[in-house]
Amino acid sequence: MLVYMELSMRAGTAPICPYGQAGCHVPTLADLFDRVIQQSSRMHGISSDLHSQFEQYFLPSKNLIGKRKCHTYGILTPDDKENAQRLGREQLTEVILRLLGAWGDPLSQFYQSMSRDQNQDFNHYSSNKAMEISDMVHELRDGVAKMAEKMKLSGVLDNTVSYVSPESFVPFSTVSYYKRGELNPMDHHDLLHCFRRDSNKVKNYLRILKCTTLPGLDC
Amino acid sequence: MKKPSEAVLLLLLLFFAPHAKGTRFSPPGKPALTRCRSPEKETFTCWWEPGPDGGLTTTYALYYRKENSEAVYECPDYHTAGENSCFFNKNDTSIWVNYNITVVATNTLGSTFSDPVDIDVVYIVKPNPPEKLTVTVMEDKGWPFLRVSWEPPHKADTRSGWITLIYELRVKLEGEDDWEMHLAGQQKTFNIFSLRSGGTYHVQVRCKPDHGFWSEWSSTSYIKVPDYFHREKSAWILIMVFTAFIFLILTWLLHMNSHSLKHCILPPVPGPKIRGFDEKLLKNGKSEDIFSALVVSGFPPTMSSNCEDLLVEYLEVYVPDEHELMLEEGKDLHDHCLKSEGSTSDNDSGRGSCDSHTLLMDKCGEAKEQGRQTEQEERPVETQRHQKEWNEDTLPYAHEDTVSPDMSSGRVKTWPSVFCPLPQYSSSPPNHTSSLEIAKQHCLSDSLFPPGSTSSYLTHPGHSTKETLGPSRWEFSLSNKQPRSLHPQMQTRQQLQARSDINLSNVGCEQAPVGLLPPTARPTEYVEVQRVNEEDMVLLKPVASGRGCGDGCPRLRQAEDYSKVKGVNSDHTLLLQREVMGEEAERCPCQDQETNGETDSCITSSTVTTTQKPPACNYTAAAVQDKMAPTVSGYVDTASIFTLPTY
Repeated sequence: MLVYMELSMRAGTAPICPYGQAGCHVPTLADLFDRVIQQSSRMHGISSDLHSQFEQYFLPSKNLIGKRKCHTYGILTPDDKENAQRLGREQLTEVILRLLGAWGDPLSQFYQSMSRDQNQDFNHYSSNKAMEISDMVHELRDGVAKMAEKMKLSGVLDNTVSYVSPESFVPFSTVSYYKRGELNPMDHHDLLHCFRRDSNKVKNYLRILKCTTLPGLDC
Repeated sequence: MKKPSEAVLLLLLLFFAPHAKGTRFSPPGKPALTRCRSPEKETFTCWWEPGPDGGLTTTYALYYRKENSEAVYECPDYHTAGENSCFFNKNDTSIWVNYNITVVATNTLGSTFSDPVDIDVVYIVKPNPPEKLTVTVMEDKGWPFLRVSWEPPHKADTRSGWITLIYELRVKLEGEDDWEMHLAGQQKTFNIFSLRSGGTYHVQVRCKPDHGFWSEWSSTSYIKVPDYFHREKSAWILIMVFTAFIFLILTWLLHMNSHSLKHCILPPVPGPKIRGFDEKLLKNGKSEDIFSALVVSGFPPTMSSNCEDLLVEYLEVYVPDEHELMLEEGKDLHDHCLKSEGSTSDNDSGRGSCDSHTLLMDKCGEAKEQGRQTEQEERPVETQRHQKEWNEDTLPYAHEDTVSPDMSSGRVKTWPSVFCPLPQYSSSPPNHTSSLEIAKQHCLSDSLFPPGSTSSYLTHPGHSTKETLGPSRWEFSLSNKQPRSLHPQMQTRQQLQARSDINLSNVGCEQAPVGLLPPTARPTEYVEVQRVNEEDMVLLKPVASGRGCGDGCPRLRQAEDYSKVKGVNSDHTLLLQREVMGEEAERCPCQDQETNGETDSCITSSTVTTTQKPPACNYTAAAVQDKMAPTVSGYVDTASIFTLPTY
């Protein structure tokens, strides 16, 4: 009911469509931002759940903490507020897209590996979650891309931002890190640790992007 | 680095330790990092718990290592955050980076390292409580509510989107212990409704980042809600007065109509009334009086009573054999009969008269029901009868109606539902003598006829219930009497007997003999025993036996007998004729049976006094041929023909 009211206040009762077909309501940039931020928040939540589950069943060896390296470490990401704000919208958007692009493949592998591994009890729940985040990461990437397009159209973003295809970014093939098709529990844990962090980055960057682009009530 | 110098110092201390006094000194105990917190995701602080110092002055140092780097750094600030703490400022803080932190306790004797701790600043955020909490009372259509508003902690940068906080507030009335929690999400204002007028409320608020820890509760804000009691009260007073008024009116109305209401709601329960039952006698305690009072003179009905009315007898004449004979004779048999022939080869058990193809179908319809009814009712009576001496003559037999009570002819009757009590054998009027009703058969009811109960009746077992029935029945009835062939005189029993032989089972149709209405086409037994009066009036003769004639032949004396044997026809069927003693001779159902043309034989026996309708003429032996007539078929369901005599 509230959603309906909200929609009707905005633009009548037409359904929302991303491409602006006839008869449907084109979402605004604010709508896109909200959606994208919600999606990223949810994705991060699921990855956190999965990670804590793994921690229960598989205590990480603290000795390896220093040696753990995520396959996305090649992507330079701002690691504090000043750096993030200094980066600017375009670069921030690009970083977001890169991160999302870099995780599409590994998560699919992760999901496949999880569904293959029948030994552990928690796998059923976990594999569902894995499938979810695997899908989400793809959707989010598409969503952010669309949002970037819209920002470009509205002049908020310069045209320097290009849609980064995941193929262009191959710092380390996931094979070396995650042994395509043969991930063992140790790899699972590492992967989840890395993804949890990266999804948090994405969420945070998106929020910063939104608040710099559309300062409003939520910021 | 300090570390080497410290190490040297330690060694020196250790060296000199033995020279120290005898006091027990030891290296420091193991410290432990208790927690690390970041208030705004830009700086963080770690606290540790020192272990036992071992008696010597112990110093603590914190070292950390960043992820993917081998460099070890020492805590930059030990003081800002207080004792046993380490504060990392913005420059030293990196988000999304793992810190490996260790604390070392050192004294002269040695140093002890704590367990390392890994932290990522983004997951240890615990903001400061929200600030500038304000609560105001506002009004919404006359009803007040609280509007609470606050600000995020000033350190947390929510404006740039760096940190996102969600809020929660709690409210309670002054003096109470339970807080009412409200989750406010990301908004910075909140409304609280449903206030108690005149109460003072305490309000607090706290916040939390998406993934982090809740802050402490903010300082309490107090607010007093003004009184709006009077407005409430006046409304309540009005309502109360109104309600009281209505209540009074209702009470008055109830009082006025209490009596009629009582009758309406709790109608008086009629007490049991037993004729002749006098409660006072009961109180007296003299049982004799009571029981004698209960005895109604007119009960059980004697011959002169209206018993006959009660009985509706109908003879069901089964003339299975005849039927066959008929068949042989000619094909004029009703197809029903034909069918019945074949089908009724069995004992016709369980089949009512209506089943008999020879019978009128339509009649059967109703007769059946009645028959059943009668059956049922008959049952009890019959059982009764059984008890009675069979020999008793004069069984007025309830169905006196049809047959004059003294009709002994074993008239077969099918009893309608109502029964006069079985003629008391004992008390039966003499004239009845053999008025035993031998068998009332009712064709239909037979099916229901309990085997045992028919002792007194000779129900044609045939179609009554089971085969077993039949024979037993017969026997039973006859048991008392010496079995004998049907001798007209006197022994009705004999007649009965004859019947027994018949073995109703097969007799069925044949029974048609006098008095018995052989159900046409009912091959089964259907034997009807009529009352046999002294004169052996009734003769039922089994179809097969054909002897019926012998016994059956005897004319039925009238007297009251129910049926008079008109004669025996060629088929060995006894044609019973009912003589009406002047009474109505009710139309004889005979006609049914009488297809043979014995219409007249149908004379209904007048049953003398019977007021009841003449028993079904059915007795007419017509049964024989009658089968043909589906209607007649010798089976007359008295019920259908006569109305039940009302008692």
